[in-house]
Parts: sequence; C-alpha cells; structure tokens
Amino acid sequence: MHIPDGFISPTISIVTFIVTLLFWIISFMKAKNSLDERQIPIMGVMTALFFAAQMMNYPIVGGTTGHLLGSASLGIILGPYAGCISMTIILVLQSLLFGDGGITTLGANIVNMGIIGVFIPAFLLLALNKISKGKGLYAWIFISAFVGDVVAAVAAGAELGFSVPTFQYGLSVAVPAMAINHSVIGVIEGVVTMVLVGMLLKLRPDVLSKSPSLKDLPALQESKELKE
Amino acid sequence: MLILAKISRKSVKNLDRNTIVVGLALAVIFVVIGNFVFSYALETLDVKAEELEVTGENILNAPFPEYTIPGFENEWGGILLGVVATLAIFVVTLGIANLLMKKKSE
Repeated sequence: MHIPDGFISPTISIVTFIVTLLFWIISFMKAKNSLDERQIPIMGVMTALFFAAQMMNYPIVGGTTGHLLGSASLGIILGPYAGCISMTIILVLQSLLFGDGGITTLGANIVNMGIIGVFIPAFLLLALNKISKGKGLYAWIFISAFVGDVVAAVAAGAELGFSVPTFQYGLSVAVPAMAINHSVIGVIEGVVTMVLVGMLLKLRPDVLSKSPSLKDLPALQESKELKE
Repeated sequence: MLILAKISRKSVKNLDRNTIVVGLALAVIFVVIGNFVFSYALETLDVKAEELEVTGENILNAPFPEYTIPGFENEWGGILLGVVATLAIFVVTLGIANLLMKKKSE
C-alpha cells in the first residue's frame, strides 16, 4: 500500500501532509499524557515486529502480493496516539532508507496506514466493547482490524482516484481494486490482531490494561483493582 | 488474573526483558522468512500503474533500495540489512517513547 512518488497529484500530496501534521501534533500531545511506562518496551517491540512483518509479501488475488500492515494491532494495543507514532516511525524509515513509499507521498502513506489504519480499529473496538459490555471481544477485534485495513485501502484508492491526470484510472477503478485486494490482507490482519491481543491478555495484562480500547474490559478492570 | 496482583516491579522488569527477547526474535524470523520465502512483491498498485504506464520513480535515492545493500544483493545481505534496520527501529521507538515520558514528568 506504500504509494511511490509520481502516483498522486500535488494537491492530494499537500492535503495529506496537512492532515498528517495535524494528527502528529495531536498524537504527540495526547501520547505524552496517555503513554504509560509499562507500554514503552512493548511499543518498541511491536514497532520493530511490524516493520519486519511488512518485509513478508504473501500471494493474495490475481497474482498480486500483499503484506501485513500492523496498524490495527498498534492502535488497539498501544492506543491510537502511540500507535500513530509507531507507524509513522516505520513509514518514515521505509521511505528514507529503503525507498518503500515516496517522499512526496509520505503524507498520504501516513494518512492511510498511520492514521486511518490505526485510529479506526482503536475507536471502533472501543465503541463495540462499550455496546457489548466486553462480550464477543475476539469477534470485535477481528472486525475492527478488518475494517481499519479495508478503509485504509479505500483511502489509498481514493487518493489515487482523485489524482486523475497523474493516475488516469479514477475512483471507479482505483477504489475497488485496492479494497478487494486489501480485504484479503484485512482478514489476515484481523487474525493476527486477535492472536496478539489474546497472547497479551494471558501474558501481559498489565500492558493491555493501559490500552484505551481494552482497559474497560471486565477482566482487565478486575486485575487493575486487585493491583491497586 | 489474580497473578497480576502479585506482580512486583522487579518481575515486571523481567517480563519486559522476556517480551523484548521474544518479540525481537520473532522479528528476526520474519526478516528471514521475508527474504527466503515471501520475498516476491507485486502489489495491486504496481499492477495498476504498469497498466497505465505510470512510472513510480522515487525522488530521493534511498541508500538501500528494495531492502538490499548495493553490491551485496542477495538473501543474506537482505537479512543483515533487515535485522540491523529492525534493531534500529526498536531503539528509535524506545528513544521517542522515553522522550515522551520525560516530557510527561516535566
């Protein structure tokens, strides 16, 4: 989903950089207050882990390949603000060191994978958990991660579709092409996020109890009260 | 969950160390698999761009294009680069997170 230079129009490039800048400011300000000391090692590990995971390209549909984003896991486990910072670190280094994603399209790539892919799963899961009062957690995690991935792909398709002189296919081709292929990745993203959260619930509930999307879960509430 | 109540600060530090070791080991495995098994990449974007003959040449010359070390473009070079980059990302993230914590305490 990394858009290289020359694929999107200058207008889309400028707009996405402005959106990115706004979210960076908000994320740094919010993460400064919400980030807990216990989350720091897991933030480092997860950022490194998903950078490495993005190096694996597996076959999806029509001879194309795709890779895990990790945005949903970062957003759900670390919270959207720290998750946005983590994904930004990955995307900036990928662009500057490896040429994976352009420099003029860095704003667009961060909007798709670092903002949409992170914030949508985090807030969707928060809402679904509130409605269901913590029941059906794993189904909600899967749905949140899947939706986050597909919406991020739709956004990438829309950015390309609105860049018509540069990318002549337009919205009607770019959006479905991205959405269909990334729905396969979305399924994998959903499963990986479920497994990761499940593992951390068993092994590191102290870290998960700091996640804005999960901290209200009855199981984590109990453990928090016991600790206090 | 009752176990959590008994977790002391020292054991949390041990848990952190274990988490880091397991997480980074898993990341190295991903790098190896990414270089030996799932290395072929043809994304939807590339296919559509090819159909339109849109060239996605990046403006900046990245020092390690396509995750390879120039002059050492084989799987082992890719693994070495992937492992170093993974560790660098881990350190950079810890640095930024610690900086945020420092600002919080000010």
